[in-house]
Amino acid sequence: MRERFLTGYNDFVLPFVCGMLFVLIYCLVGLVRIIMQLPPQDRKKFFISLVTPKTMIKNIKDIFLKCLIHVDLWKRNRLLGYMHSSIAFGWFMLILVGHIEVLLYTSHLGAKALYYPIFFRYFVAETESTMKGALIFFLMDFFLLVVLSGIALAIIKRVRSRFFGMRRTTNPSFLDLIGLYSLWSIFPLRLLAESFTADISGGSFLTKSLNYVFTEFLSNHANMLPAWWAYSCALGIFFFVLPFTRYMHIPTEILLIPLRNAGIRIVNARKGFAKAQVYSCPSCGLCIDACPMGVLKGNLKDTTVYLNRQIRRNNEARIEEISDKCLLCGKCTAVCPVGVEGDKLRIAQRSMRRYNFGPDYSNISAKEEIARCNKFVNSENSNVSSAVNEKVLYFAGCMTALTPVIMKTTGSILEKAGVDYTVMDRDGGICCGRPMLMAGRFAQARQLVEKNTEIILGSGAGTLLLSCPICYKIFREKYSLPGIKIVHHTEYFERLIREGRLKVHRDGTRYVFHDPCELGRGCGIYEPPRNVISCAGELVEAAKNRKESICCGGSLGSLTLGFDKRKAMTENAVSNLTAASPDRIVTACPLCLNTFSRYSDRPVEDIAQVLDRNSSPADITGNNKRQKTIS
Amino acid sequence: MKENIVIIGGGIAGLEAAGQLAALGYKPIIIEKSDHLGGHVAEWHRLFPDMTPARDVVGGLISRASGSNIFLNTEISFVNKLKDSYNIMLSNGISIITRIILVTTGFSVFEAARKEEYGYGVYDQVMTNRDLEHWFNTGKDKRVDNCAMNAVGFVHCVGSRDEKAKNPQCSKVCCITAIKQAIEIKQRFPEAMVYCFYMDLRMFGKKYEDFYINAQRDYGIRFIRGRVSEVSENIDGRVIVKAEDTLSGKPVKVTLDLLVLMAGMVCSQESTKVANMANLPVDSDGFLKSRDNVTAIIESPKEGVFYAGACTGPKTVPETLAEARAAALEVHLYIKSLE
Repeated sequence: MRERFLTGYNDFVLPFVCGMLFVLIYCLVGLVRIIMQLPPQDRKKFFISLVTPKTMIKNIKDIFLKCLIHVDLWKRNRLLGYMHSSIAFGWFMLILVGHIEVLLYTSHLGAKALYYPIFFRYFVAETESTMKGALIFFLMDFFLLVVLSGIALAIIKRVRSRFFGMRRTTNPSFLDLIGLYSLWSIFPLRLLAESFTADISGGSFLTKSLNYVFTEFLSNHANMLPAWWAYSCALGIFFFVLPFTRYMHIPTEILLIPLRNAGIRIVNARKGFAKAQVYSCPSCGLCIDACPMGVLKGNLKDTTVYLNRQIRRNNEARIEEISDKCLLCGKCTAVCPVGVEGDKLRIAQRSMRRYNFGPDYSNISAKEEIARCNKFVNSENSNVSSAVNEKVLYFAGCMTALTPVIMKTTGSILEKAGVDYTVMDRDGGICCGRPMLMAGRFAQARQLVEKNTEIILGSGAGTLLLSCPICYKIFREKYSLPGIKIVHHTEYFERLIREGRLKVHRDGTRYVFHDPCELGRGCGIYEPPRNVISCAGELVEAAKNRKESICCGGSLGSLTLGFDKRKAMTENAVSNLTAASPDRIVTACPLCLNTFSRYSDRPVEDIAQVLDRNSSPADITGNNKRQKTIS
Repeated sequence: MKENIVIIGGGIAGLEAAGQLAALGYKPIIIEKSDHLGGHVAEWHRLFPDMTPARDVVGGLISRASGSNIFLNTEISFVNKLKDSYNIMLSNGISIITRIILVTTGFSVFEAARKEEYGYGVYDQVMTNRDLEHWFNTGKDKRVDNCAMNAVGFVHCVGSRDEKAKNPQCSKVCCITAIKQAIEIKQRFPEAMVYCFYMDLRMFGKKYEDFYINAQRDYGIRFIRGRVSEVSENIDGRVIVKAEDTLSGKPVKVTLDLLVLMAGMVCSQESTKVANMANLPVDSDGFLKSRDNVTAIIESPKEGVFYAGACTGPKTVPETLAEARAAALEVHLYIKSLE
């Protein structure tokens, strides 16, 4: 290889060089700003994580798997996965091999290092057929082909997103379109430009063949420069619009992954970690299909991808509207390939609102409540062996108060199993605080949390039992109750069955289990309810279940969604559940129960009802045996 | 007169229309799905505002309609539209060709168990207005026998004016029925405290307002304006009701021996079934849709199909009877126009 030009410079590199410098400076400033916006303790945590070997390895692995290979998308749909990884990984390899090539064949780079790896073929001539270069030539053409195949798929996806497992896709903004078209044109132009010089600088199966086939046109060196100009301009335009388009996700995600691995959480809806998330949104639109509000076309623009776009535009009115409308079911977070936490972003946004007045709970007396719930029945003369004799405090919660059948059947099961329990809020209790938390009113939520903590710690219980997943989530995440086990009734029932404290009889009823958002996606509890139901009857699955379960539509997460709008969502969720034609729908959340019963064509029950109907106390002889083995 | 007239439903609307048509010289056919005539009113004890025994009212209607062909325990299997008439196939195998159908399928009582927060079917001491009438009639109900009746509550608008229960409409009769039943309870248990939890009291009918004032002045019934938020059960099985008194702006909590839910009126499944078979339109409230809600409430948009009573919306007994008479006359005029 030898250089064709003494200067090693041509004007056509300017658009690219300017664009790239612009992007680099923009990203550098952005990086510093995001890191400066982090709260001091988070910033410290971040820097420490960067030098901890464990997180370092995790960061590199995550960046490789997520940013380049897009493993999450592969799991969702292979075609979608291939499309993204071919462009990302292919382009990355082109850049990498390009640099290797430059390092191998040239010396004294200087300023040329900026553009040589990109436009190398224009500036060099092949001295003889280099066998050593053959591999690199081949690799360059191979990865160019990979990227081109990805671009072809991307063009198909614009027209027919259904092939990629997506019903709906994002509506690109004007700048997004410019970015999109310039991105699409970069690689075909590169192929063209390199084909022109293939007879001078060498090439491989793609460029060289093209040069031979269209020899009339491509061997005419007068056509060469315009092609290189066009290639450089496409790159330049792409880089200039990049910060203002969805393609900003490419550099931002590289920052987001280490931030997340450092264990940083969203504090402010617009700053720091939240900002990194917003800019990491690739506008892929997976959250549009996931959103339960999507059954009504009017709500399509209230999905997380549009929230991110509006936050970037600082469109305050729309940001508030979108944040308040959301049901906070968390499905967009569950499906997001880059890990944008749509629900947490919205809660953070809600917390920015200032209220002129707020309820004050400081005058609630915890002492009275403690006296009321410290009434364990079996404590003194229990005939249950001490190993299983634990004091269970049952907090039913306000939603359960509206579905009294849950409280009644749960109580009945606990009695059958000989559990020493007492109800914390039989006669009305204090709210767990989650509704306030969801509304972004953290100060009020904290007051409630403190009152409840005092009551629970004062009750002398060893286990806190909850039948409402909405309460369960906040008890797990925001309460500090040392020495007290916090369990949801599905987990507790599973344990009672496993320990043989309940005798469950199975019948032929077909049940489908609806994963409540707060229990499944919120707390990761998927197996215990299924195990319990399998003991009582036949369990069938819904069309979309577990992580992708569809919100019942009754969620108290939404502050503005009207009742008429929710109906369509509930009906959609019911039809999803009844795909395998079950006899009964079972859920483990009083709010889901309430919502589904309204529109379901078949009985809807709480898991406690199912278990209560199909269980009886373990027989005395069995009990004695167990006592013996324990003692 | 050979003209067949099919009346679907043997409640008070069907009976009254049949009686009138019989008086006009026709011999209508009444199809009733249950084993007795008189519908919901036959299960009632006394009717507001004069405490008229329901039995007398229904008895009078049945005797006047006795000239009709009556099929009890019979349902409609299908309805075929012929060129200018209908072919109605009954579940007992009889098929009727008719040019005139009078739909008097009435209403259903809202399933109170669907408002689970009120605890019907969950707590022992919760019943509906219909259960209470049953007790008035038979004197047998373990919920009443269980307890000393020291405090009784009535919840208005259960499943009425309630979007969450899919029924935004007012059922019209529950306000006054609650007052009637509260008075009857007070007559039987003079020592009992009786509470009515209401959101609005709609005393639109003749003598209703007097009845309401009687209830307050002469019987000392307490009216609390505010919806019941939740109902729970205490250890001895009594129910605890929590509500907000929106007039004083304070939460109230009372322990009751019996809670009566004033379940409202919803369109009966039979009406919907008939509507589907005969291709009749259903209105947004679930009830059958009339040709015109002002001038032609008893006419369907279909030629030869007429309505009477609560199949087009909640109605009181006198309103239903008046509509039945009007429908009978309309049928008569329609037959005349065919000749």
